[in-house]
Amino acid sequence: MGVKIAIIRVFMLFLVCAGTVHGATIKVATLSPDGSAWMKIMRAAGKDVAVQTENRVKFRFYPGGVMGNDEVVLRKIRIGQLQGAAVPGGALASLYPDSEVYNLPLKFLNFDEVDYVRSKMDSKIVKGFEDNGFVTFGLAEGGFAYVMSRRPIVTTKDLSGGKVWIPSNDPSALRVVQTYGVSPIPLALPDVLAGLQTGLLDTVASSPIATIALQWHTQVTHLSDIPVMYFYATLAIDKKVFKRFSPEDQATVRKIMGQAFVDIDRQNRKDNEAAYQALLNQGITLVSAEGADREEWYSVASKAEKNVIDKGYISQEMYQEFEGHLQDFRNQAGQIRVNE
Amino acid sequence: MLLFKRLACLMALVLLSACSSLIANQTSQLADNISIAIYNNGDIESVGQAIPTFLVLIDSMIEGSPESTSLLRAGAQLNDAYAGSFVEQESRKKLISDKALGYARKSACFERSGFCDLDSIPFTEFESRLKAAGAGDIPAIYTLAVTWLNWIQIHSDDWSAVTGLARVERLLDRVVELDDAYDNGMAHLYLGGIAALLPPALGGKPEVSREHFEKAIEISEGKNLMAKVVYAQMYARMMFDEDLHQTLLQDVLGADPDVPNFVLMNHLAQRQAAELMASAPDYF
Repeated sequence: MGVKIAIIRVFMLFLVCAGTVHGATIKVATLSPDGSAWMKIMRAAGKDVAVQTENRVKFRFYPGGVMGNDEVVLRKIRIGQLQGAAVPGGALASLYPDSEVYNLPLKFLNFDEVDYVRSKMDSKIVKGFEDNGFVTFGLAEGGFAYVMSRRPIVTTKDLSGGKVWIPSNDPSALRVVQTYGVSPIPLALPDVLAGLQTGLLDTVASSPIATIALQWHTQVTHLSDIPVMYFYATLAIDKKVFKRFSPEDQATVRKIMGQAFVDIDRQNRKDNEAAYQALLNQGITLVSAEGADREEWYSVASKAEKNVIDKGYISQEMYQEFEGHLQDFRNQAGQIRVNE
Repeated sequence: MLLFKRLACLMALVLLSACSSLIANQTSQLADNISIAIYNNGDIESVGQAIPTFLVLIDSMIEGSPESTSLLRAGAQLNDAYAGSFVEQESRKKLISDKALGYARKSACFERSGFCDLDSIPFTEFESRLKAAGAGDIPAIYTLAVTWLNWIQIHSDDWSAVTGLARVERLLDRVVELDDAYDNGMAHLYLGGIAALLPPALGGKPEVSREHFEKAIEISEGKNLMAKVVYAQMYARMMFDEDLHQTLLQDVLGADPDVPNFVLMNHLAQRQAAELMASAPDYF
């Protein structure tokens, strides 16, 4: 009997412990390398949070993928080993599929469109994450991905004849490239540079920043000027953990981390524009599809998009709202151009 | 008579050239001596205050012998060391490292025409030109690599600058291929740092990084304390290996820094090691 009571006590103690955040420390993992602009801003914000909450809330960062890839990190959050992650939006798509609406292929023509739609819809996506278990503090731009290759990729046929990389375990990317008639080569991110060096791959799609940081720019010679996908990242904290902080501390964290993500968002835009120019300065040739060739890129993308919506990967409601904002902007922009 | 005049002119030219070569050799020797004296001084503050005077001196020597590759290299190294270790203000750092890289580029270009424009030619051509480098080219390509690396670090907010990192890595690889013990194995230290810039999840090569750091320590017979500091800062932190981090830094702080040729670097290493020890609880 005594033993049984002791076991129950230990079990109760375990339950009590599980109900608190150890030392009020939020452990956050990310693939972003330490020393990167992202990490510098997040670390500074973390220190600020600790000061403002008098150490009731502290952040501890695990950069550079030391806690594993995004999938592993989310699993560690589920079992309470970590409390948060700074991840690309796509990593949270299994929890909240509508968050991928910005990632539809060839959807945005330029950053003006991005800025308009995001000003209307970011808050909805942030709320969507929160309704599905994660508190986030705004979205930070990852930029546009462009097709870069050892060959000039002008037409969609040029693409389908290439050795095209897609990230392994990325069903969204697979669906899109298959619509273009591509038999892609799925590889994990760390293997892409070697893949390009050995000729296993000749074509990648990536943001200018990532292309330079990962040194892929040494292996490609052409950049196609169509932005094929827009992507973003966010800092997601387990909502159950976050709600254990007092309302005042929650507000402090939201304010400081919210500002950090505004800063990262702006910085990434500047960096991507500068990196795009740096690629061209390096002698990478800009190639542009014109007329019917360009229309073909967009018409195939529409088929891929229809497939995504028809199969319900993104809800009709989310898609219609997104499409409505985009068309509003294009109508206004067209109006401005006419007036000019 | 005409022939005599021509001969006299030729003789004068040869003499003039010999004289200027002699002066260049002497000034180059002086520049080298200044560098050695600086690297063997453990008083970091005094060195920091003294270097600007020497920089002006070396600049003036280069003015007098603008094509002296050894003087240009000495100018590159001293400006580079000053910008990297002693200047706080970002705009001054950039200015001085611009000058250092300019000297290093000129030195390499005067050494071998194939080393001109190494920053702007296509990458494949860069690689094929580098294959032509022999043992005699090591000082030129090594100085260019080190100065360029520091310049990239100081200009890391400029994406055009960052694109040069892959070229610097190839230059240092070539140095190691030709003579991995050159400059007490320092090329390994830089390569170890470059390999640790990206974590494995993004394609970094921690094993390659570790091998380079250990080789740098081995070649310098453990005398180069900076190798251990950078090993801790770049590799141990990236791998979240707290034990290795602390062991390396404790080794550095417990070592005698006053080893010929490493004195200044070792004193800087100990200062950096103390800072890393202090910030470790925030990191691990």
